[in-house]
Parts: sequence; C-alpha cells; structure tokens
Amino acid sequence: MNRTVDIVGVGWSGFGSITPDLSYKEMIFQAATRAYADAGIDPRNDAQGFVTAAEDYHEGTSIFDEYTPDQLGAVLRPMHTITGDGLHALAAAYMNIASGLMNVVVVEAHSKASNILTLDHITAFAEDPTFERPLAINPVALAGLEMQRGLDAGRYTVEQCAQVVVKNKNNALANPAAAYAAAIGKKPVLEAQPLATPLTRLMAASHADGAIVFVLADSDTAKRFKGKPVRVRGIGWANDTPALDSREWLDAKYARKAAEMAYRVAQIRHPRGEIDFAEVDDTFAYKELQHLEALQLTEPGQAGALTEQGATERAGALPVNPSGGGLGVGSLLDANGLARALEVVLQLRGEAGARQLHKANTGLAFAWRGLPTTSGAAVVLSN
Amino acid sequence: MSLLNNLEHPTDARIWRGDLPVYHRYTAGVAGEKFLRALKDQGAVYGTRCPTCGYVYVPARLYCERDATHLDDSTWAPVGPAGALVSFSAVWVDLDGKRLDAPQWVGLVRLKGASSVLMHYLQTPTGALHAGMTVQAVLKPANERVGSITDIAYFKPL
Repeated sequence: MNRTVDIVGVGWSGFGSITPDLSYKEMIFQAATRAYADAGIDPRNDAQGFVTAAEDYHEGTSIFDEYTPDQLGAVLRPMHTITGDGLHALAAAYMNIASGLMNVVVVEAHSKASNILTLDHITAFAEDPTFERPLAINPVALAGLEMQRGLDAGRYTVEQCAQVVVKNKNNALANPAAAYAAAIGKKPVLEAQPLATPLTRLMAASHADGAIVFVLADSDTAKRFKGKPVRVRGIGWANDTPALDSREWLDAKYARKAAEMAYRVAQIRHPRGEIDFAEVDDTFAYKELQHLEALQLTEPGQAGALTEQGATERAGALPVNPSGGGLGVGSLLDANGLARALEVVLQLRGEAGARQLHKANTGLAFAWRGLPTTSGAAVVLSN
Repeated sequence: MSLLNNLEHPTDARIWRGDLPVYHRYTAGVAGEKFLRALKDQGAVYGTRCPTCGYVYVPARLYCERDATHLDDSTWAPVGPAGALVSFSAVWVDLDGKRLDAPQWVGLVRLKGASSVLMHYLQTPTGALHAGMTVQAVLKPANERVGSITDIAYFKPL
C-alpha cells in the first residue's frame, strides 16, 4: 500500500528580475537553509534523497546534474536531476517516498534567467532541427499562433486575456516575493508593443531569478517535524507530441491529461466543487484561460468570461494565481511549477499574509514547461 | 537570511563570461530524406497516411505517433500545394530579441489532403487574414532549391 506524502518545509530565494549579488548556488543555498529551518530538519541526517529540476542549456553548464548536490547538503547522498519542470521533480520525490524507498526527500528548482544571454536562441534550439528551426523565427511566434487559434475558435477575447494580466499583476502587489507586480489596467496591456500578434509584450511573463526548495516526508515521519504539513493528495503529468505539425493547437491536452492523473490519485471526481483555488501556468495570458478549461475548473470557452466577471480574483468563487502567477511573480524557467506550488502551500498553511484566501483547504498547482513544449504537470494539495 | 556576508555595493558584483561553439549535424532520416528530395527535385510536398488511424502527416514520417504503425512506401502521397490557413501571426522580434522594422508573418497551414499543419512563412498580407482562408505554397525556382523546408519560399493567400 502506498504511503501518504506531506510537504513539511518550504523555502525560497528571490524573486528578482536580476540577482547580480548571488550565484545560482548561493540562491539555492539560501532557499534550502530556509526550507530546512521551516521543516526543522538537518539535511545531512534527516534527508535520504534529493531531486533537482534543471536544463543544461538554461544553466550554461554541461551535465548540470553534477552541480546540484553541494548547495543542498546532498554530497554523498542519493541525488538526481529531472530535465523538466519543478513539479516533475516533485513527482519523483513523491514516488521515492510513497514507494517506501525513502522517508524524507528534498526537491529543488531555480532560475538564473538573468545570466542567460541568448534565451530565445536556446528556446528555438529546442525545435525540430530539420523542419522547424530552418525558418529561424523567434519561438514566441508559437504563442502568437496558438493565441490567434483560440481567438478564432471563440475561446476567449483579447480583452479577456488582458484582464488576466491586470488580475495577476495586481495580485502580485500583495506578494513581497513578486518581481513584476503592477497596479495596471487593461489599456496599457492592450497597447503594449506586439511580440507576435495578437500577443503583446505585457501578455508574456518576464523572467525572474530565484530558487525554491521543498522538503517532503511520509506522513508518519512528518509528525516528528515542527512544520505544518501539507498533504500531497495527487500528482500527475503528461506530454502531447513535440511536433508542431501534429500537436493540438486549440486545447491544452497535456494539461487535461496531467490533471486527470492528479485528480485520479487524489480521488477528486468533481474538480470544480472540490478545488478551492488554483495556481496555474500563465506564461502567456491566454495560457491561464486555456489551462483553466483543460484542468476542468471551468467549462470550455467560459474561463475568459469568468475572469471578466471577477470570479478568478482573490475574492472570487475560484481564485486563480493569488500569488500573481508568472505574469506577476516572474517566469522562473524550470522553477515555475514549484513557484505555483509554493503559493498553494502558503495559502493552505494560512501564511499568505495580505493575500490570504478565506477558503483554502484544497488547491491545485499546474505547470507548463514553456515554449516550445507540450509538457505539463499538476499537483493537488490539501491541509 | 542564510548569508552573513552579502555584497553591499553593486560594483562588487562581478560576472564571468563563457560561451560554447555548438555545431551539429542532424540526420534527416529515411522519411525526412525522401520528403526533402521530393521537395527539391519534384517541387512536391509529400505526406504519409497511417493505414491504422487515417492521419496524414506532413512532413511525411516513417511511423505514426498515435498508434506506432510503420508508414511504408505505400502510405506516401502528395498533398497541397493549396491549403487552409489555420492560424497566423505577425512576429515583431528576431531570434536575438531585437525588434524588427517590419514583422515577419508566419502561419499554420493545413495542406489539402493533410491532417497535420505546417508552420511556415506567410507572404506579407495586403488585406485581412482569417482562419480557414485558402493559401498556396510558393516554391523557390528549381535551381535555387537545396532540399530544405525553406525550399517552400512562403505561402500566399489566394
């Protein structure tokens, strides 16, 4: 029988548009020190395993997984790296514990985006070398094409996408860790410079630096620690095809499949009634709407209207991205999923400060790995 | 915080630069080679139709990603050159992130006979574009084709 798994400690460093003072290792060390203090553990004696999510090209270091143990206190311990989102790493840690292999596992993901000088080239390098890359188009084109597809299908309007930006950047005003909070209205979002029409610059999350560390434990061991445990009720992940030619361009099927798995594990049958709030990927504003529908939190084509009505605001019926999301906090590359989950943990613990939700018993975090991928991961957490 | 000796002056924050020359060769593969040769030599765009599920892949592939069926020579058939515009975008930034003086137009085109879409350049439109409109592949002259997806110069609205 599977053991239940809890998040017993969280820590973070950042988030900022630049971090000229700290190396990525020092950011991780800072986040880890906070997470270990939060859980009340000594990583050298209490943690049996460590998992990082990172991508070599983002790090500027080959075989980057060799560079992950020291700053976490993981030298001479079982440690591995997942080349995916932080929620994929969380899933690996969950499995280590649920299977009984380990009792306490540390998860880490980070972004030092400000050190990457050619990120668009790196993203384009992730496209198919024979049929896609020779066009030499900035990969933000994929977001423009997908957003236009959704507009033509009547899934949302440009104004509704702008309202997502307004909501998330305003939500971020109450989040001291957010790098891109702004008291902003729809007009500047709609009139911002176009990136790839109909997408404007303010409809795309800007990058931030930061590191996030979670400590997970089986529920029996968790009782020995001082932290307020948050239960990992379900976790899931899925990919659509990598090919631009045969992928689904309207619905986020990867999100639907990832959530179906997480809901099945969590025994959630009616997500709309059982999920109190959600932190979902909003790397591009339309993605929040597309993801909400795929996650079965709204009816198809209704996420935009609900956003305009205020239903996804902090005081609404289904608060979405109370942290500010990627648009308000900043895009943290491979750490985006842990940033979403971090907010869910803080809300469930009642420690979200000025942005604390009234009803926060069960929350969903969903991550998309970003362009040009169709890779998603979801986790359901409860207090 | 966990650090006891933080930098306190921006001038103390230094960086080191590093770069890597990354050059690769990519094997087009059995299907990719045949597809690109047909484009270069015949000026034809080929797809492969999966006998199991009926999905038509363009560019042609050796296998179906939906049911892992092998797509042999009998599954090859030309598609297009006309097709339906599925989506479109004017891209205002280049790969270096620099703003362009004039946008680069791109589209997703479902060539006639294909199930999949092809991302490619669109001719700068003179009127409004809309999903579902007919566009046609414009190929480079035969003596300029090299066996690349860019042997299709662009798609133009009809």
